[in-house]
Amino acid sequence: MSELTLQFESSDDELPEEVAFDASKSVALKSVKDALDAAKREKNLLKEKRRKKQQLFQEQKKRKLLPQELLEEFDTKPQKQTDLSANKGIYKKVSTKPSHNNKVKEQETGTMPKKTPKSLPVSYRVMRIKDESAAKTLQQRATDFVQSRLYGPGTKRTTNAELLSLKKKRGASQGAAVEFANKKLGACKKARIKRSNKRFIRQQKLIPF
Amino acid sequence: MGEFKVHRVRFFDYMPSGIRALAFNRDIERIAVARMDGSVEVFHCSDRFFQEKIIPGREQCGIEGLSWVGERLFSAGLNGGITEYDLTNQKVKYTIDAYGGPIWTIAGNQQGTHLAVGCEDGTVKLFEVNEDKIQFERNLDRQKSRIISLSWHPSGSKIAAGMMDMIQIFNVETGHSVHRLLADRGVGTSRSKECVVWSVVYLSDGTIISGDSVGMVKLWDDQTGTLIKSHNVTKCDVLALSVSQNEDSLVAGTSEGTVVQFQFISMVLGKDDKEWVRTRTFKNHTHDIRAVAEITTAVVSGGMDAQLVVRPLLDKVEVRSAASALRKIHFPHRRLVSCARKSGLMLFQYPGHLELWRLGESEGKGSSLFVKRNPEKLLHLKVKGEDHIRCSAVSPCGEWIVYSTASKLRENTLHGLKHFLFLFFQISKLPMVLSSANQLCFSSDSSHLFSASAQSSVHIASLSQSGCKFVGTLKPKSGSHQAIHLLAASEDGKWLASANSDHEVHIYNLQTRKAHCTVPVYSSAVTAMGIHPTTNCLFMMYADQQMCEYSIEQKQYTDWSRTVQRKGLHRFWMERDTPCLNVMFNPQNPSHVILHDTYMLCIIDQSLPLPDDKTQFYNQLTLKSLPEEQRKSHSHAFKVCKTFKDILCVELMSDQSLVVVERPLEDVASQLPAPIKQKKFAT
Repeated sequence: MSELTLQFESSDDELPEEVAFDASKSVALKSVKDALDAAKREKNLLKEKRRKKQQLFQEQKKRKLLPQELLEEFDTKPQKQTDLSANKGIYKKVSTKPSHNNKVKEQETGTMPKKTPKSLPVSYRVMRIKDESAAKTLQQRATDFVQSRLYGPGTKRTTNAELLSLKKKRGASQGAAVEFANKKLGACKKARIKRSNKRFIRQQKLIPF
Repeated sequence: MGEFKVHRVRFFDYMPSGIRALAFNRDIERIAVARMDGSVEVFHCSDRFFQEKIIPGREQCGIEGLSWVGERLFSAGLNGGITEYDLTNQKVKYTIDAYGGPIWTIAGNQQGTHLAVGCEDGTVKLFEVNEDKIQFERNLDRQKSRIISLSWHPSGSKIAAGMMDMIQIFNVETGHSVHRLLADRGVGTSRSKECVVWSVVYLSDGTIISGDSVGMVKLWDDQTGTLIKSHNVTKCDVLALSVSQNEDSLVAGTSEGTVVQFQFISMVLGKDDKEWVRTRTFKNHTHDIRAVAEITTAVVSGGMDAQLVVRPLLDKVEVRSAASALRKIHFPHRRLVSCARKSGLMLFQYPGHLELWRLGESEGKGSSLFVKRNPEKLLHLKVKGEDHIRCSAVSPCGEWIVYSTASKLRENTLHGLKHFLFLFFQISKLPMVLSSANQLCFSSDSSHLFSASAQSSVHIASLSQSGCKFVGTLKPKSGSHQAIHLLAASEDGKWLASANSDHEVHIYNLQTRKAHCTVPVYSSAVTAMGIHPTTNCLFMMYADQQMCEYSIEQKQYTDWSRTVQRKGLHRFWMERDTPCLNVMFNPQNPSHVILHDTYMLCIIDQSLPLPDDKTQFYNQLTLKSLPEEQRKSHSHAFKVCKTFKDILCVELMSDQSLVVVERPLEDVASQLPAPIKQKKFAT
């Protein structure tokens, strides 16, 4: 394009040059072909890239999996037993390991008796009870529910000391609050307060030596 | 009469555990109480609410509900199992797992054929009650939220289940839910929390009554599935409901400690249109009420303050007597403290451990003596396993300790207690036949151990330096197989008396190891008994405050006992509402009998005349003010001392000092769970 403009600029009065139809046709065709070639090349490049990635994944998967024979052995076994016993409650503790890895471990060690592995529904998992140390048991969760409903946030609770003190205040023989009258109540708290008071006085040097 | 040096013991930190469930059995007139630590107690309602049977609990029990089916008792808890109790031997018969997660409620139908349990996973499971066991029958339709409460319709065809935010009515035959009644969440902050329907009751005319966490008692109609009436009873939760047998009275227990009664009466006198009207309010508790029971003549309630309160309904009571007064039961009717009389040691029985203390020494004169040496704790013995201790005893010489849990019996010897810095401890193997004991007793010379076991029989074991050997069994000639709850051995080692829950008292001759005689059966249970050291007379105290004395050698009641029966006892004595738990004798004064109950200590002088109804009963202070000559003419046999309160145990040591173990109720109250904050006027 720049050539044409130059030509045009050199002499405004002169006639445009004659360009043969064939030449321009070939140029146009060439440009089209170039474009197509570029697209094709790009496509091929992407294809190559995809192929390479796919190969890489295959290799990785192969490394993870076991030899073909063992897998073939599995495929035949699960077809025999597909139903579970109906009595399994919903609270069957199950883990997050994928099920076929578990079966694989069993076959590998060879110490387990050759039981036919049952296939569990998708939502069930197998877990060891020993690993459950961090999680709360059902009973603990139920107790927590009741505790939170009766004593948790949202309930207006007070202390026993306050209840007894109010009884004394309004009772027949009126007396001081229970924390003052009863030496045993809150003894450790009182001791702690006394110690911290002493520390404060010493720190602030309120009592001259 | 005598002066005693009194050791006032307040270091027994006994904490009763809160009441979780109540179940009343109309036919046998017993009420079963389940506590938070898993123990189940059976009280006899017509025998002054004497605590007949105690089945100890275990750790992590989480009991939530009780139900009678005929004469059998079942319980269910958060550990997911249904337990049946063997009431004859006072232990657990078996536990079966319901496989539904934690169980929140258990209810039996009126026909006595099925048990329904409500589980955490949202199912109501039906169990068929067979002769020896229960068997799972089927589940009703599973719901999305947990089932907190259940109630059978009296016909047995429908079940109402209280869940989170709603009540479902199930048709038992098809298992499908017929109606869904939605409980609203209330106003204010409670809008964000789900409303828990803590309790439901199904009446025979189709009305369902529910108590929920918003504080409302709601009446629903089961035909249309709609709300009829709603009563706002309290600002906090309504935790328990109970309806009387003829369905005209309902009681509701709240978190604040009030019991509200509703009655099915007509608003206008004479007219026939009846409706449920709120009538009375009882404020006998300070903490949450977890269970109520409407016995026709009384309302029994129990909660986190660990006291069982029996409030008679005065419109149902015909005669105004001691039985129609308000009754509060704080402490168990069994002895938790045993003393080694010769060595000044005391054994305290806690649910999970035992403590052995040595008494302190004092000097000086006057009413309050200076403590020279403080009492010290010698031993803290923890129980292995999860079961709680059923009974324990220390031998009079102080060298042997024995305790029994539901599953086993363990015995320990203590040597070298004189040097209390060094304690040598040895556990001796027990013979296999002594598996578990309901009651334990040492002979007075500490040479034999008596353990009450199954079938109302007593095993004897001999104790020596080398260990413990099984010697023989004492079996009654005839009679029931109920468990023995009291044992008493004589000072000379010849006689042993045992009392069981069927009110039978058997006396055995220890030299021939055979049954000697049986005391005539009385209508009330024996709460305390002791054998006199010289005359060998068995002195018994009953739950209705009667007393009698039986001569073992002559096999008949003594003359003094017949005089007491003929004359009758003073009104004030009969009106006491706590049972006597210990009978002791004073070697220096053979005619004295020392008794105690929770609020008083009494010395009965058998040589003095008995008081009749007109004489002043509590006359100790007046006698003090009278001059010496007049005292003799005015004094009578009963000398009552009311200085000590909340007494758990009184014992007479061999050095003539009395030990009084007190547990002040304020100390118990200061360690209970938190109560609801209530605004009172002028505070």
